[in-house]
Amino acid sequence: MTAWTLEGLAGAIRQGKVSPVEATQECLGRIGRLDAKLRAFITVDEVGALAAARRLEAAQRRGAWQGPLHGVPLAFKDLCFIRGLPTSCGTRTAEYFIAEQDCTAVARLAAAGAVTLGKLNMTELAMGPFGDNAHHGHAQNPWRSGHCSGGSSSGSGVAVAAGLALGALGSDTGGSIRLPAAACGIVGLKPTYGRVSRAGAMPLSWSNDHVGPMARTVRDCALLLQAVAGRDPLDATSSAQPVPDYRASLRASITGLRVGVPENFFFQGVHPEMEAAVRKAAEVIAGLGAQVSEIRLPDPQSMSDVCNIVSRSEGSTIHARLLRERPHEVQPVVRARLELGMQMPAYDYLQALRLRARLTRAFIAEVFATVDVLVAPIIPEPAPSLAHATEGPVHELVARQGRFSRLTRPFNGLGLPALSVPCGFSSAGLPLAFQVVGRPFDEETVLRVGDAYQQATDWHTRRPLLD
Amino acid sequence: MDESKAQQAEIAALLGAIERLAADLALAEEPSRFIAALGTECEEAEGKARPS
Repeated sequence: MTAWTLEGLAGAIRQGKVSPVEATQECLGRIGRLDAKLRAFITVDEVGALAAARRLEAAQRRGAWQGPLHGVPLAFKDLCFIRGLPTSCGTRTAEYFIAEQDCTAVARLAAAGAVTLGKLNMTELAMGPFGDNAHHGHAQNPWRSGHCSGGSSSGSGVAVAAGLALGALGSDTGGSIRLPAAACGIVGLKPTYGRVSRAGAMPLSWSNDHVGPMARTVRDCALLLQAVAGRDPLDATSSAQPVPDYRASLRASITGLRVGVPENFFFQGVHPEMEAAVRKAAEVIAGLGAQVSEIRLPDPQSMSDVCNIVSRSEGSTIHARLLRERPHEVQPVVRARLELGMQMPAYDYLQALRLRARLTRAFIAEVFATVDVLVAPIIPEPAPSLAHATEGPVHELVARQGRFSRLTRPFNGLGLPALSVPCGFSSAGLPLAFQVVGRPFDEETVLRVGDAYQQATDWHTRRPLLD
Repeated sequence: MDESKAQQAEIAALLGAIERLAADLALAEEPSRFIAALGTECEEAEGKARPS
C-alpha cells in the first residue's frame, strides 16, 4: 500500500478497498521499521494520526467525504506549526516556533481529508541544501545510505521516497523543496511566489520563502497543490490570482509547447551523468511534440547574488534572538551564515530588493517571449556523501552549500514556479533530475510538462530497496 | 584561510556584485515592482492563446 501513489490510495479509499485506518497503520508500521535508520521524522504523532483516521473512517461509513484526500496519510516539514505538536525547525529547541494559528497549508490539507502522521526532519532553520542535522540525525538518502538526502526539506524527500508518507509539504527559500526531491528521486514543486500561503510556517526570508508539495508523481503534486493554493488573509503576500483546476490541465497535450534548454549557466560544472540525463529528458519532451530549443538566459548569477543578500539579511533578522542568546546551540555552519547576514548593510539589502524587481521584469519579458517553459538541471551532481556535507572547515562547507544550490536559487529570486522531476539514476544508483520552470502563476503548464514526461517514462515507478 | 577572512571575502564579493548591478537603477525602481512583475505577466498570459 505504501508503494502506491497518493492518487491511487485516495481512489482505493474512496472505493472502500482500503480504509483510512489501514492506510495510516501501514505508514506508521513502516515508519517504525525504517525510520531509526532513515531519520525522516522528528515527531511521529501515532495517537493523533490514528484518531484522525478513525474519525474519517466513521465519516466514510456515514457516507460523508471530507475531500479529495480523505484518509491519505501525509507528513509535514517541522517548520509547519500544528497546535499540539512541537515545531523545532530543526533546532535543538522542541518548541522553537509558535504561531498564532496552524499552518494554513497543513490546515487546508486536513480540511481536504488528509491524516497528519507527524513532523519531518529538516536542516537546522532551513539553512542548508544537504539535509544534515546534528541535532535530529542526518536524513539518509533512501537510495544509498551515507549519502545526502538534499535539504532543507530533507525529511520530506526521504519520507515520500521511502514510502513512509504518501506526500509531504516542504518549503523552498533557495531550493529546499527541489533539492531533496531531486536527490531522493521524487517530485517537488516550488510554486509561484504568493501561490501558496506561508502563514504558520517558520519564515527564513519573507521575500524568498515558498511552501509547496512533494510526492512521488506530478499528478500527486497537482492534487496537493489544488488543496493548498489560493489567497489566505493570514498571509499578506498570498495572491488573489484564481486557482485553476490543475489535474484537469494535465490532460492537455504538450504538442507545440516551446521548451527552452539554457545555453548558459545551468550546465556549467554539472556532472556528466546529470547533464546527459537532463538532455535526454529534453529529447523525450521533444519526442512528445514540444518544440525544444536552446536559449541564452539573462545572467542567472545576478539574481542568485540578489537572492543571497536578501535571504541572508532577512534570515539573520528573523533568527537574531537565537544567535544572540544561544549561539552555542546552533551548528557552526548555520551560525556562520547567520553571522554573515548580520553584516549586510541596509543599503545593500534595499538595493538588492530594487534590483530583484528589475531583473524579474527583464527575465520574464525576454525569456517567455521566446519559450513557454525552461528545462534545466537542479543539482549539479548526484547526492554527495554525508561526509562531503559535514566534514571540513566551516568556510569550505558554506562554499559547498553554495555550489550545490546554485541552480535552484535564481528561481526563488524570480518567484517563478519550478518543478523537480526524476529522470534516471547515476552509475552509483543515485537519482538524477531536471526542473521545469514556467511563467508566474502558470503551474498548469509546468505540471503538464512534468506529467507528460512521467507518462512517457517509468523513473517515478522505481522504489528504493529498504525492507 | 581563517573563518573570519573567508566571511569577509564572501561579503565583499556579494556587496561588490550588488554595487555593480545597481549602478544604473532608475530612481522609480522600488521593491514592490517585483510583485507587480509577477501579476502583470499572469494577466498577460491569461489573455494569450497557449498551445494545448
